[in-house]
Amino acid sequence: MSSNKPVVCPICGAQIKKSGYCSACYMHMDIIKKAYNTSDYYYNIGYDKAVARDLSGAIESLNMSLRYNKKNIMTRNLLGLIYYEMGEIVMALSHWVMSVNYKSTNNLATKYLKELRSNPTTLADVDQIAIKYNMALNYAKRDDIDLAIIQLKSVLSNNGHFVKGYLLLALLYINFGNYEKARVTLRRVLKIDKANPLAIHYLHEMGNTDTDIIQMRDDESVEDDGLLDEEYIEENTIRRSTSLMDEDPTEKKSNPIKDFYEKCKNTLLKKKVIGDIGFAKYSGVYVLVGMVLGALILGFVLLPAQRKSLRTENEKIIKTYSEEIAAKETTITNLDAEVSDLHRQIARLEADNSDDVNPLPDYSYITNGMTDEDIQNMIINE
Amino acid sequence: MINFEEELKRFQPIPEVNQAEEAIYNNDLKDISDIVMVVTAEMKSSVAGAANPITGRIG
Repeated sequence: MSSNKPVVCPICGAQIKKSGYCSACYMHMDIIKKAYNTSDYYYNIGYDKAVARDLSGAIESLNMSLRYNKKNIMTRNLLGLIYYEMGEIVMALSHWVMSVNYKSTNNLATKYLKELRSNPTTLADVDQIAIKYNMALNYAKRDDIDLAIIQLKSVLSNNGHFVKGYLLLALLYINFGNYEKARVTLRRVLKIDKANPLAIHYLHEMGNTDTDIIQMRDDESVEDDGLLDEEYIEENTIRRSTSLMDEDPTEKKSNPIKDFYEKCKNTLLKKKVIGDIGFAKYSGVYVLVGMVLGALILGFVLLPAQRKSLRTENEKIIKTYSEEIAAKETTITNLDAEVSDLHRQIARLEADNSDDVNPLPDYSYITNGMTDEDIQNMIINE
Repeated sequence: MINFEEELKRFQPIPEVNQAEEAIYNNDLKDISDIVMVVTAEMKSSVAGAANPITGRIG
């Protein structure tokens, strides 16, 4: 039983005419179907490669699939997953976001995005990894190889699947001439991405055959290879210093960080040589002698002079105060004499008053027994 | 022999989280149907232009 539902163009959503062309975009349905089939074909190849852990090959095939149908949801999701596995989370995010944008329901990318967003620390870590990797790349381009290695080690300890980080680290080791470390690093790459073309290219350049590469890829574990241990800085520095000694001194570039490492290394080597005088261990004695000499100079030269000047100043102050005290004592004596004189005058006047006493008559007996009203009436009558 | 400087040029900075939007726009590539549509539109405009270069109308 045939359906009467009109056929819709998968590109623009308009109706398809009987001739097979879209009424809006004029695209023929056969072309669209062919393109979609080819896209699925490349998706299948990409999927097979991904299952075989040939991630670089899978990315190539899946990108080809998107060339034929950019709305292929399965391709987008798988591509995101592969980028996630290779430590490129932002690329994975971008593919999953596009996938959800094309198909919002019943899409696996929704689950992936939800999981990523549910853990904000993951996103913060992803950001840090990207920042540190870019920083390491800048250091490498500026020939600060030691700093670049430190940054890359930090990145790789946070994300052990970051293929680009391993590849850059391997290149830096090759530049140092540390081929063994470079091999260990590239082995880790091959564990994640079995046919990484850059890793294979570097291994070939270091003289490894295809058989070696296959054997390296099939080795059991890479966890105990010591790649992310801390001894690499010293190792690199010593290696670098020996290579610099072989170089023409006129060609040697000035670099403060390298110079610092050189100094550190030289110090370490000096300490190790038997019979050499380690002047550093007497530094404490030098400091002590210096302190004693300083104390003596302070006690015998500076302090007496300072004491003398202080004494002179004190004497001046004492003299000034003594003069002031003497003046005040004189004033007090004068005032005492004045006071005693006044006392004498008072006594004399009191004696004079007692000689001619003329008391006023006492009228108290008149007012005794009278009220205020009586007194007032008496005044009015008067 | 590996040339360090040349090899280093292969490595490009990776996008940070705040550059994700830019990465998404860059991922919006053109597929074969986009290309066919662009070609069809160009053909249509060239046919129209040939018919009447002033008005752009056929006939």
